[in-house]
Amino acid sequence: MTYQPLNLGRWIIWGGAALLFAAAPHLFPGGFALTMLTQMGVMILFALSYNMLLGQGGMLSFGHAVYSGLGAYVTVHALNQIGAGTFYLPVPLLPLVGGIAGLAFGLLFGYVTTKRAGTTFALISLGIGEMVFACVLMFPGFFGGEAGISTNRMVGQPFLGLTFGPGIQVYYLVALWCFLGMAGMFALTQTPLGRMANAVRDNPERAEFVGYNTRHVRFLQLVLSSFFAGVSGALSCINFEIVSAENVSAIRSGGVLLATFIGGVPFFFGPVIGAIVFVFFIVALSGFTKAWLLYLGLFFVLIVVYAPGGIASLILMQFPVIRAGRWRELALPYALAALAGLVALAGLIGLVEMVYRLSDQGVSTVLQLLGMSFDARSAPPWIAFGAILAAGLASLRAAARRVGERWGAIQLELQAQAAA
Amino acid sequence: MKSAIELRDVHKSFGTTKIIFGVSLQIREGERHAIIGPNGAGKSTLFNLISGRYEVSAGRILLHGADITNLQPFEINRKGLSRSFQVTNIFHNMSVYENVRCGVLWPAGYRYSFWHRVGGLRDVRQRAEEVMERIGLARRRNTLAGTLTYAEQRALEIGVTIAGGASVVLLDEPTAGMSRTETAQVVELIRSVTEGRTLVMVEHHMGVVFNLADRISVLVYGELLATGTPEEIRANPAVQEAYLGALHKEAARADGSHA
Ligand SMILES: Nc1ncnc2c1ncn2[C@@H]1O[C@H](COP(=O)(O)OP(=O)(O)OP(=O)(O)O)[C@@H](O)[C@H]1O
Ligand SMILES: [Mg+2]
Repeated sequence: MTYQPLNLGRWIIWGGAALLFAAAPHLFPGGFALTMLTQMGVMILFALSYNMLLGQGGMLSFGHAVYSGLGAYVTVHALNQIGAGTFYLPVPLLPLVGGIAGLAFGLLFGYVTTKRAGTTFALISLGIGEMVFACVLMFPGFFGGEAGISTNRMVGQPFLGLTFGPGIQVYYLVALWCFLGMAGMFALTQTPLGRMANAVRDNPERAEFVGYNTRHVRFLQLVLSSFFAGVSGALSCINFEIVSAENVSAIRSGGVLLATFIGGVPFFFGPVIGAIVFVFFIVALSGFTKAWLLYLGLFFVLIVVYAPGGIASLILMQFPVIRAGRWRELALPYALAALAGLVALAGLIGLVEMVYRLSDQGVSTVLQLLGMSFDARSAPPWIAFGAILAAGLASLRAAARRVGERWGAIQLELQAQAAA
Repeated sequence: MKSAIELRDVHKSFGTTKIIFGVSLQIREGERHAIIGPNGAGKSTLFNLISGRYEVSAGRILLHGADITNLQPFEINRKGLSRSFQVTNIFHNMSVYENVRCGVLWPAGYRYSFWHRVGGLRDVRQRAEEVMERIGLARRRNTLAGTLTYAEQRALEIGVTIAGGASVVLLDEPTAGMSRTETAQVVELIRSVTEGRTLVMVEHHMGVVFNLADRISVLVYGELLATGTPEEIRANPAVQEAYLGALHKEAARADGSHA
C-alpha cells in the first residue's frame, strides 16, 4: 500500500471546484435551490474549519459553534454600525471581521481547551460551549437574548454596484469566500504546522521527542481553525440577517460534527461532501417530513458503523478499481444493492412516517405517500411496510454479500498484479 | 572536558517502588556508550529520565554541562538530545518520507511555521532523502509506516531519531527482535550515523555491545555495578557474577531446553 499525494489532479480539482461554484445557480435554478446552495457554501466553510481540528489535529470538539457564532455576533454589530453610519466597511469584507473575531475567541478559549488532548479536550470544549451559550442568554444587551439581533445587509454605498439585496449576489459572495477559505485551509495542510498537526494527531508522544510542544501545535491549529469558523459565521449573518443564541448552541456544534463525519474526516474534501448532504437533509427534507432529524441521525449512525471514513472514503475506494478498468464488473452488484436499499428505505420511510402520524395529535392520521393514502390506525399499511422493509433488508444483505465477494476478488487480483 | 551527559545521584521511584537507586554516570562527548543489564534493571527507565519522559525523583541530569533535570521532552530535544524507543514509536499513518521529515522540521528551523510550503523546503527534503538513503528505506519512501515490516520499522525508528542531527543520540535496544543479518546491518547503520556524535545505547546482544561501544555501564536492579572499557567490563568479576555469568547460565538453560 502506498501513499501518494495527487499533484497532477490538483489543478483539475481546484479549477473544477471554482467552475462548480460559478455554475451551481445555473445548474440548479430557482429561489429554493439558491437558498440551499448559499447555506451549503456557509456550511462547507464551517465543516472544513471543524475538520482542521478533528481530521487534521485529532481534536474532537463539541463546541465549535462558539467560534462561528461569536464571529457572527461581532459581524452583526459591525453591520448595524455600518448601517448607523458609525464607520464604513464594504459588505464583502465583513467576513474578515467575523474571521478576526473568531480568531480572537480562539486565542482566548483555545488557550484553555488545547491544554489537553483527547477526551479532556472534548469535555472542555463542551463546557466552554455551554458557558458561552449561557452568557449569550445572560447579556441580552449585546446578544439580543432568545430573539437574537437582526440586521440589514443592504447598507452603505453599493459596492461595485452590488447591493447584496438579491439572493444571487449573496450566493456569489458566499461562494467566493468559501472558495478562498477552502484554498487557504488546503494550503495550511501543506505547511510545517499542518503536517505536525497530523503527527500530533497520530502520535503525540513521538512528536514531543522530535522537538514539538504538542499543546502549542493544537493551540495554533485551533486558532487558525476558529478564524475560518468566524468567516463562516459572518457569512451566515449576512445571509440570514439575524444572529441568535442558536448560532453558538450545542446543536450547531453537534451539527458540524455530524456533517464532517458524514463527509469523511480523513480526507480534506470530505467535509465538503458532508456539508452538502447535511444542508440537503436540513433544508430540503425538513420541508417534506417532520422526521428529517431522525433520518439524519440514522444516516449518521450507518456511516459511523459501515463507513467510518465517510462518503468520501466510499468514493475514493472506487478509484483504483476504475483505474484498473474493473468497475464494470461491479456495476451490476452495485445496482442490485442500490435497488434493495431503496426497497428497504421505502419500507422504513412508511413505518417512520406512520409513527409520526400517530404521534401528531389532532393532525390527520392519514399518510399521503406517492399519491396513495394510508391510515396509520389500521393494520394493513403497517404489515405492508413492515414486509417491504424486511424484504428490502433481506435482499440488501444478499446484494451486499455479492458486492463484497466481487470486491474482494478484484482487490486480490489487483494486489497480485501490483506485486508482480 | 565537559561530559555530553552527566547523571548525579539520580533516583526514581514509582509510588513506593524504587526503580533507580542513585545512579551517577558521566558520558564523554563523542563516545559510544552501551548500557547493559538484566531485564527490568531500569535501563529504559534511565533513558526515560534523561529524555524527559519521566520526572526524576531526586538527583540532577546535565546535557553538555547544562541542567536539563525535569525539562519537557521537546525542550530536551531542542537542546540536541534525540532518542529512540524500545517499542517502535513512529507515525504509523504517515509515509516513511513524512516520518523522517517530522524529525527534520524543528531542527531545520521551521518550527510551527504556517507560512512555508513544506513541499518547497529544499533543505528539509534533501536531509530527509539523505536519511532515508542511510537507513535503506529510500525505495519505500511512499509506504505507510504502519505497513512496513518489523525490521524496516526499527530502521525507521532510528531514522526519525537521527534525522534532526542531534549531537547526543539515545537508542533503546535498536536490534531487539532482529535476525543475525539484520542486526549486522543495523550495527553498521548505527556506526555510520553516530559518527562524530555521542551515542548511548541499551543493548542485549553482547556481540553488538562489545563491537560498537567505547565504554560500557552495567546496571543491575537500578544500581550501576560498573563502568569501563569492554575489556575492563569483561574482566570484572562482579559483572561476571551478577550479569554475564547469569546470561551464560540462561543461555545454557535455553540451549538445554532446545535439545
Ligand atoms: N511507568 C512505570 N510505572 C511503574 N513501574 C514502571 C514504569 N516503568 C517501568 N517500571 C518498572 O521499572 C522496572 C524497570 O523497567 P525498565 O523498563 O526500565 O527495565 P529495562 O532495564 O529497560 O528492562 P528490559 O531489558 O526488559 O527492557 C520494571 O520493574 C518496570 O516494571
Ligand atoms: Mg527496556
